[in-house]
Amino acid sequence: MRRKNPVLYYGGKLLSFLLSVFFLSLAVFYASRLAPGDPLVSYYGERAEKMTVQERAQAEERLGLHQPIHVQYARWLQNALAGDFGISYKYKTDALSVIAARLPNTLLLGGTGFVLIFTGALALGAVCAWNEGNRLDRFLCRAGTAISCIPEFWLSLALILVFAVRLRWLPSGGAYSLGGGGPADRAAHLLLPLTVTVAGHLWYYAYMIRNRLLEEIRSDYVLLAKAKGLSRRKVLFRHCLRGAMPAYLSLMAISVPHILGGTYIVETVFSYPGIGALSYESARYQDYNLLMLLCVLTGGAVILCSILAQIVSERIDPRMRSGEPAEVTDHG
Amino acid sequence: MDERFTLTGPRTPLPPPPVKRPWHEGKPVAAMVTLAVIVLGCLGCELFIPKDPAYMDLFRPSEAPGPAFWFGSDPMGRDIFSMIWYGGRVSLLIGFLSAGISTALAALFGTVSGLAPRRLDELLMRLTEIFLSIPSLLLIVLLQAVLGKAGVVSLSVVIGVTGWTGMAKVVRAEVRRLRESEYVLAARCMGAGFFHVLRRHLAPNFFSSIMFMAVMSIRSAIAAESTLSFMGLGLPLEVVSWGSMLSLAEKALLSGAWWIILIPGAFLVVTLLCVTSIGSWLRGEGNDQGSNL
Amino acid sequence: MDDILLDVQDLTHCFRLGRNRTLRVLDGVSFQLRRGEIFGLVGESGSGKSTAAKCIMNILRPTAGKIRYLGVNTCDPGQFRSHRKLLQTSRQIIFQDSTSSLNPRMTVAEIIAEPMAIHRILPSRGSLRAEAAFQLKCVGMDPGCLDKRPPELSGGQRQRTAIARALSMSPELLVADEPIASLDVSIQAQIINLFKHLQAEHGFTFLFIAHDLSVVRYLCDRVGVLFRGRLVEMGPAKEVFSHPLHPYTQALLSAVPIPDPRRERARQLLDLDEVPFDREGTLAEAFPGHFVLRKEGTA
Repeated sequence: MRRKNPVLYYGGKLLSFLLSVFFLSLAVFYASRLAPGDPLVSYYGERAEKMTVQERAQAEERLGLHQPIHVQYARWLQNALAGDFGISYKYKTDALSVIAARLPNTLLLGGTGFVLIFTGALALGAVCAWNEGNRLDRFLCRAGTAISCIPEFWLSLALILVFAVRLRWLPSGGAYSLGGGGPADRAAHLLLPLTVTVAGHLWYYAYMIRNRLLEEIRSDYVLLAKAKGLSRRKVLFRHCLRGAMPAYLSLMAISVPHILGGTYIVETVFSYPGIGALSYESARYQDYNLLMLLCVLTGGAVILCSILAQIVSERIDPRMRSGEPAEVTDHG
Repeated sequence: MDERFTLTGPRTPLPPPPVKRPWHEGKPVAAMVTLAVIVLGCLGCELFIPKDPAYMDLFRPSEAPGPAFWFGSDPMGRDIFSMIWYGGRVSLLIGFLSAGISTALAALFGTVSGLAPRRLDELLMRLTEIFLSIPSLLLIVLLQAVLGKAGVVSLSVVIGVTGWTGMAKVVRAEVRRLRESEYVLAARCMGAGFFHVLRRHLAPNFFSSIMFMAVMSIRSAIAAESTLSFMGLGLPLEVVSWGSMLSLAEKALLSGAWWIILIPGAFLVVTLLCVTSIGSWLRGEGNDQGSNL
Repeated sequence: MDDILLDVQDLTHCFRLGRNRTLRVLDGVSFQLRRGEIFGLVGESGSGKSTAAKCIMNILRPTAGKIRYLGVNTCDPGQFRSHRKLLQTSRQIIFQDSTSSLNPRMTVAEIIAEPMAIHRILPSRGSLRAEAAFQLKCVGMDPGCLDKRPPELSGGQRQRTAIARALSMSPELLVADEPIASLDVSIQAQIINLFKHLQAEHGFTFLFIAHDLSVVRYLCDRVGVLFRGRLVEMGPAKEVFSHPLHPYTQALLSAVPIPDPRRERARQLLDLDEVPFDREGTLAEAFPGHFVLRKEGTA
């Protein structure tokens, strides 16, 4: 395989990233504008319904909603490139600052969850592969599948019912108590949402790493390593795990935004002030500018991570490098 | 013994006695039976349900399970026992409908992308990726807004349309792998047309993986319906389903009425579990090769 | 020239490797197959043998050159289309690896009957199954295998199945792309004898591609030697093997072990990598029917 010119290589990736984000923003912009619903309601609240036709027209003009969609989009793009994403209709402030105020909460929840899932899945997968086929492995497989079947919202409800309503050990929602905000308080508020997040994702990754490890264990180099006299543990951790790592890392890279930002349901049920709950709100109440920014940010993160994952796996594993196969033509 | 002196060649081994295996070996019997009971109960619920699930007994809201209400009543005074069977019908219907929609979409898209020339294939895959990167909740809200008021059919369409991408990728990868295989090449040499190759060579080979994913998409569709209805994005309260029953959970939490949350949820989770275990049985992950470790 | 079945003229094929690099796998190869003969194409791996077979079978489109089969230029899409049925029924190919050229999910009966099913040919023996059983018997297999699937068969049986599938159309031209390379030596001998026997019986024209010289010497009437995409020598098998003219053929033959210890010990191996062989020039007739690649002007 010929070495590619790094400038061209990364330039191509960058270009495809920018193009994807552009198309994403275009699609979301059009879709949200075409969807029925009244953005004025989210700006003026109840007042919007009592407006006269003239007042409405004035309000729409002030918010720039009277122009054709492509003009609106061009204006949005122009402002966005200058760093101005417009104001949130509902919060009446800069959309960016609305998000910035809530981002740390989501990062705390999602980040901790991600770390726990990453390490937990690795450990769980290794334990299963180590004990393949025996009682522990079978039990873990069953339990893992069962837990990953439970819808997140219902698990949240059940946990709230047990730990918050019945036992009163933990708070039922929010990110911190009114007035308070010490680390212990935050941790107590974080515990239940974190449990649900981890429970929802953990087994998927653990099962994946388990199966990768089993595949590795069945290859011949393991026999060779055993013949050399390496212990089971060394074979598993030094050889098999290394073989399974590239796929795992690239999968985890893709899943970063999903775990970080995919906490809508958990955030909504626990009324946790984060990005997820915000996206849900903004989509329901036609808060256009906020919605656009959220979509572009989360979507951009997803695309970025998938491109990074591609680069990482191409770096680690030469097999993944897309060697261009000879073009096969046939006239048939 | 006369046979003492007969010259014989190498002894022909007797065929091994047929091993009688119990018919249920390896099959998830418990899951199948449970699922059958739930499905049949939901389909034939008129036969054994005495109460109208829509009837609101306004004097007895949120009553604990007892002789009057076997599974209790919800905050609007409806009988949860009857609602579960009627609601199950809606939930299962949505599950099957949207799984059908997404499987059809995935098979179509995956096959086209797998058989397309490289440029078109890349474009289609990039499109799926963009589609994937739109938060699915947002997509659902948008689609619902376009389709109008949520009903059983529109909700199935929405869930089906948002849930096909993963399956499409699998189908595409399979088709690409099979397309390069020599027996497809051999068939093309023999003059086989596209549909012959698809029917005789491609479809049978990716049928099993499709079956597994289709069953799994029933599971995720049922889960999606309940989640959406719970969040107020799916079916309205009047249309009884497992999800819309659970949308009263917030009120129930305040009053500590556990049966409103736990009983429909238990039915939901048990159904999902049964579907999952049948799905993984279909995938048939028999790995005969022994471990080298 | 009525007895010429297949006429390959200046066949050239290039693979594109990336944007502006091409690999010339076949370079102006010309040969002709007479009706009813067995023509062997030999060469080391990478010399373009399989590419030639694929071009002949219209799996690859040649970059340049012409292939005429029964007077039809198969490289021309228009002519190909108008003669599609003829081309696809009377030319059949057998691939090297029978594990991948037979669909693991079909039964042997279905596999053998597949070409007939595709072309909706009415089976002359009643049913497609009877036809499959007959073909199976022809290639020396037990009819009990009809309902087995390829993974349950041995390598030799799989290759026999592939042969039966090709023969079910009673082809005029059979192309076999290294059909024995993935078999055990003892099975190889069986398959080679089967080929010889079937060819004598059916009288099809046979393009046999191999890298095993002794097999080619045993089986073929005429051979062509390919070296890095060029046909360097072509002639009757006996001639070429007893009096190789091109240095590459000589080197290739020197690598064949001789089943006689004294002569085997005296055998001198020519190094295939070191010797710079000529790839230039044109094919010239050295003896009647025996062609060798020579530079212009040299004798």
